[in-house]
Amino acid sequence: MNVSIPYSWLKDYIKTNASVEEIAESLSLHSFSVEKIRKTDGDEIFEIEVTPNRGDALSVLGVARELRAVLPVRGFKCEWLPREEKFTGKINAADRIDVVIEDKTLVPRFSAIIMDKITFGDSPKLVKERLEKVGIRPLGNVIDVTNYMMVDKGQPMHVFDYDKIVGGKMTVRESREGEVITTLDGVDRKLPAGVIVIEDGGGRLIDLCGIMGAKNSEVDENTKKILLFVQVYDPVRIRRASMTLGHRTEAALRFEKGVDYEGVISALWESVDMIEKLSGAVVSSDLVDIVNFSRETKEIEVDAEKISRIAGKEIKSEDAFSYLNSLGFEKSKTRDGYVIVPSWRYDDINVPEDIAEEVVRLYGYYNLPVKLLEGAIPIVETSKLFYWEKTARYFLKYNGFFECYTYSATDKEKAGENALKISNPLNEEMTYLKTSLLPQLLDVLDKNHGYADKIKVFELASVYLPPEPDSKEKIPYQPVRLGIATHGVDYMDLKGIIEALFEIMGLNYDDVSEAFSHEIEDFGGGNLGAEINFEPIAVKATKLRSYTPLTVFNSIKEDLTFEVPEGVLYRQIEKTILSVDKRIFKLGFKDVFKNYLTLSIEYLDKEKQISSDDTQEIRKKIFKELEKIGVRLKV
Amino acid sequence: MDNFNDLENVKSYLLERLRGASSLDDISKIKIEFLGKKGFLGKLTSDIGKIPLEQRKNYGIRLNSLKEEIEAQIKVYEQNFKGDVDKSEYTDLYKSLPGRKPPVGHLNIITQAIEEIVEVFAPLGFNRVRYPEVDREYFVFDALNMPENHPARDEWETFFVDYPEDEKLGKLVITPHTSSGQVREMLKGNLPIRMLNISRCGRRQIDISHVPSFYQFEGLVVDENVSTANLIGVLDYFAKKFFGPDRKTRLRPYHFRFTEPSFEVDIDCGVCHGKGCKLCKEGWLELGGSGMVHPNVLRAGGIDPEKYTGFAFGWGVERAFMMKSGTKIDDIRYLFSNDLRFLEQF
Repeated sequence: MNVSIPYSWLKDYIKTNASVEEIAESLSLHSFSVEKIRKTDGDEIFEIEVTPNRGDALSVLGVARELRAVLPVRGFKCEWLPREEKFTGKINAADRIDVVIEDKTLVPRFSAIIMDKITFGDSPKLVKERLEKVGIRPLGNVIDVTNYMMVDKGQPMHVFDYDKIVGGKMTVRESREGEVITTLDGVDRKLPAGVIVIEDGGGRLIDLCGIMGAKNSEVDENTKKILLFVQVYDPVRIRRASMTLGHRTEAALRFEKGVDYEGVISALWESVDMIEKLSGAVVSSDLVDIVNFSRETKEIEVDAEKISRIAGKEIKSEDAFSYLNSLGFEKSKTRDGYVIVPSWRYDDINVPEDIAEEVVRLYGYYNLPVKLLEGAIPIVETSKLFYWEKTARYFLKYNGFFECYTYSATDKEKAGENALKISNPLNEEMTYLKTSLLPQLLDVLDKNHGYADKIKVFELASVYLPPEPDSKEKIPYQPVRLGIATHGVDYMDLKGIIEALFEIMGLNYDDVSEAFSHEIEDFGGGNLGAEINFEPIAVKATKLRSYTPLTVFNSIKEDLTFEVPEGVLYRQIEKTILSVDKRIFKLGFKDVFKNYLTLSIEYLDKEKQISSDDTQEIRKKIFKELEKIGVRLKV
Repeated sequence: MDNFNDLENVKSYLLERLRGASSLDDISKIKIEFLGKKGFLGKLTSDIGKIPLEQRKNYGIRLNSLKEEIEAQIKVYEQNFKGDVDKSEYTDLYKSLPGRKPPVGHLNIITQAIEEIVEVFAPLGFNRVRYPEVDREYFVFDALNMPENHPARDEWETFFVDYPEDEKLGKLVITPHTSSGQVREMLKGNLPIRMLNISRCGRRQIDISHVPSFYQFEGLVVDENVSTANLIGVLDYFAKKFFGPDRKTRLRPYHFRFTEPSFEVDIDCGVCHGKGCKLCKEGWLELGGSGMVHPNVLRAGGIDPEKYTGFAFGWGVERAFMMKSGTKIDDIRYLFSNDLRFLEQF
């Protein structure tokens, strides 16, 4: 989450000799990234990307605390300025609020106080300017104070018009499914169950806790009495509610990241003081402070050896303690070698590795040595799949194919049968996970129609099939497939390309069972497509070739044309011929016209020079065998 | 006198002469010397009268074939100087025409990027693997120290798959990062680990710098005594090999639930080299995240964090490639557009 922190505001807390750029660089290198320095009205505003674990730094105070530790590391001075004393005014406890909390886990800390004699009006220039600099619209003194304090302390707060709380009674509870609340922005929000809400004595919902107040209890120009409300809510419930309702307010974003349990009361008194100054109000009730949590002091070991091991450079124990101390981690009084985690870092720091991070980031990552790996190189087998993928890609490239990458998800029709559905798709076109690469590849052909007369494309990627019955984790079967689509290419040419690829992979087109998840199909309009079960065939593929000793004898080659009757297929003819005599060395398809099939035959005898008498004898045997399946020499 | 023997001698002498030729003029002289009326061949032809009658036919045949051989041989050497013997008035035009290229296609630059990445890490002993794109929440989040309902899960715009939830492993999701392979790799039980996982991922995002399907490469090293300094060493090696020897990297503190400490890795801007320009942030570009593997993640992978440490980094393949100086691709969606006019440029 990004936060805007004006430099002028930081000066309430710290005094330094570092320039704005030096402050930004120090923060970026040691704490969080300063994305930008925005310059307005003679002020500089740091746009800081605060990581989600550091809810404590979503405030001027939090960033100032960080700078107190970081600037001295960079050689700058950073003086922590004393703050004015907190509220010292009198309390005339005339008013009261009755609070019922149905479930203590909803609100670990509940604090509130009533103030009377409000004069509602504009805030002073400084307050308005500061709010505007951080992108918050001033709405009137009392409300502005709550927003101001949220930015200043990181503690979101709320003010109710006390007189609009029926019966002066509040019940904190979880919402029931379907309850409706109208929030301050005028939107009616229908609630799911489990959202933290407050009901007043009249049975009305008066607050969508931690997210936004309700319209029915809002402060306006007629307000005389307010209830100032400072809480710590259960971050999980706030987050869930804010996400479900799609209402991500600054308050919610802070609450869900966790606010400082110990900062609540001081923030409340500081706000009281400010409201008093800005609106002339006076405190008219006792402080309500309900503590529903108990937290033990968290102490973590500072193991200099471990820290040094993680860093890759020796960091001394006393340096580690000094860095930690500057970040607010005090030495444990009871346990040697331990520090106490400050309240604002309570949820973030749990293990010695967390401590190591704090120490090493202050030490400076840029101060660590640059070392390559020192251990032994692990000896493991690399999947053959990668080699064969690369081979197939280059083979296809050098045969004129373009490689495509299509999205994993597509529309229902293209995804195919039994496709897995995405519950939260981006759009209609990407709702189902594809079960075949072909439909999207055929789309590519159509999209590139005018590109050339011949278009050849392929994609080597996974498809997503429902989990196999034996999948223990029930995750989809995601085999890599090779999808091929062509436009304007002859069937025989495409088949030849695939056969050649199989040959390179050491496989025979016909020997590989289930080589195709989709055999070559004519999709019309000159488009052909095929999909190969790449993963299983890559497992069978081999680079191994064993050599056949070469002979000194010459072969004899001849072409023969046969007339093939209906029902007889090439493989049958091939098999028949090859089994006639072992001296038939090679047999190849040469040409076909109607049902006249021209084959080229190469005869070779490895023992002696083959003669034309020999070939004549073999030829006769071929004719005799082919005759049996009705294949005759064309005359 | 053995004329047959002379024929053979002529051949070897011819070769000797031709090898010594240094210009087309020399070749012309040799041609006359051998094929001219008063040349060797002419002499041998006029010798035919001296040949015994019964051998004359054979001699004639031999003579003819010798003539052919000489002519062919001279032609070969002539070409060395001329280039083309059949010079016609159009030769210059013909030669200026483009050749007939075999039909060479194009690989997508994602493939090229992956290959380059693999080549950089291979010499460091990183073994390439691939893990499922659609996986259970457990491997994507829980095993990576991100329990259910943790806000950190927000950072990934995750697609969920409509399929029965598993009691232990949670919902089916499209992995929003390759880090889901970390614990799967650890669970193989082979230590030490140097893994390079390059897999397809998906996130609910589409704009000029995001696409719903993309590739990440994830490095994971687990061994005794692996430190942040080693991480810096490996990343620096990668940056120099992949982007260029003059490029520099730096680590900035960051936060990921599955690493502790966590870093964001920057590389100095290839355009301004660290001075600061429109493209970069104060002279630096973000490469991606990295960190020392969190002890909870090691535990989830069945590895004792007291004995072993590790580091990991996981970055976008396309993004890294687009950051290379010179590619000039300003919209990542082109990579998945499958527009042949785009693909043919690579």
